[in-house]
Amino acid sequence: MPVRREIINPKNDRLNVSRNFNIPHSPGVRAGDFIYLSGMVSINPETGERSLGTVAHETRQILSNMAHMLESAGSSMERVVKINVLLYSMLEFDNMNAVYRQFFPKDPPTRTTCGVQLSGGLKVEIECIALAG
Amino acid sequence: MPLARILVPPPAPGLDMAAQYGWPQSTAIRAGDLVFVSGVLPVDPATGERMQGTLTTEAHRAFQNLKLVLEAAGTSLDRLVHVRAMIYDRIEYDALNRVYRQYVPEGPPARTVWSVQIADAFKIQLDAVAAA
Repeated sequence: MPVRREIINPKNDRLNVSRNFNIPHSPGVRAGDFIYLSGMVSINPETGERSLGTVAHETRQILSNMAHMLESAGSSMERVVKINVLLYSMLEFDNMNAVYRQFFPKDPPTRTTCGVQLSGGLKVEIECIALAG
Repeated sequence: MPLARILVPPPAPGLDMAAQYGWPQSTAIRAGDLVFVSGVLPVDPATGERMQGTLTTEAHRAFQNLKLVLEAAGTSLDRLVHVRAMIYDRIEYDALNRVYRQYVPEGPPARTVWSVQIADAFKIQLDAVAAA
C-alpha cells in the first residue's frame, strides 16, 4: 500500500519561506514515517525577513525555526536522524558547532557538514530528516 | 506507532568524531529500514588521526571506515542506497571513481558527487544512507 505523502507547513506563516519568497519547494514533506525539511536559512520569525548575521546567529535562528517546523509536523528535535549543514566557509565550523550543540545536547543526529556557496549573503543553511511522531 | 531511533555505537574509537574532535554528531542512526551515517572521513580508526594523502589514499580510507560503520549497524557496503560523495575539487572526479567502483562493484548505490570544502582540509567525505 502506498504511504501517505503530506506537505508540512510551519504553524507560524512568516516562516513559510516557500510561499513568502515564492520558491518552488515545500517547507517540508512527510512520507510514511519520515519528515524531510527543505534547506533552512536564517529567517526572523516575527518579520519573515532574512536575518543575516554571524554564523553563530544564523545557526541559532535556523535551529530555533527548525524546532518550530518539526513541532508543526508533530515531531521534534529529539526525533531528527540526519542533518546536513552547508556553511559558506569551513573556517567557521567551530562557530557553528558551538551553537549547534546547544540544540542537540544528548544523542545528536547524524550529520554531514560541508562548505559551499550560499545565496543572498547567507552563511548557513541546514536541512534535516526526522522521524514522524 | 512511531518508529524507534536507534543509535549505532562507533565501531572503533577513532571513528567516534564526538569523542575525537568534539563534533556534536552521532556516528550512525538506524531509523526503520534505513541507516543514516554521519559524513565519513579518512581518519585512522584506531586513533582518530587524520590520514591525509592523495584523493586516492583518502578515498580508500574513507570507504574502509564507512564499511566499519555500516557493519556496526548490521548492514554493509552492498546495502548502500544513496551516497553523496564529497570531494574537494572536481578535477579528481576520475580518481574518485577509480576507487569508488572497487567498493561497490555490483549494483552500486544512487550517488551524487559534490565539489565542496571539507573540514580540516580533507579531500573526501562520504555521506551515506543504507538499507538496514
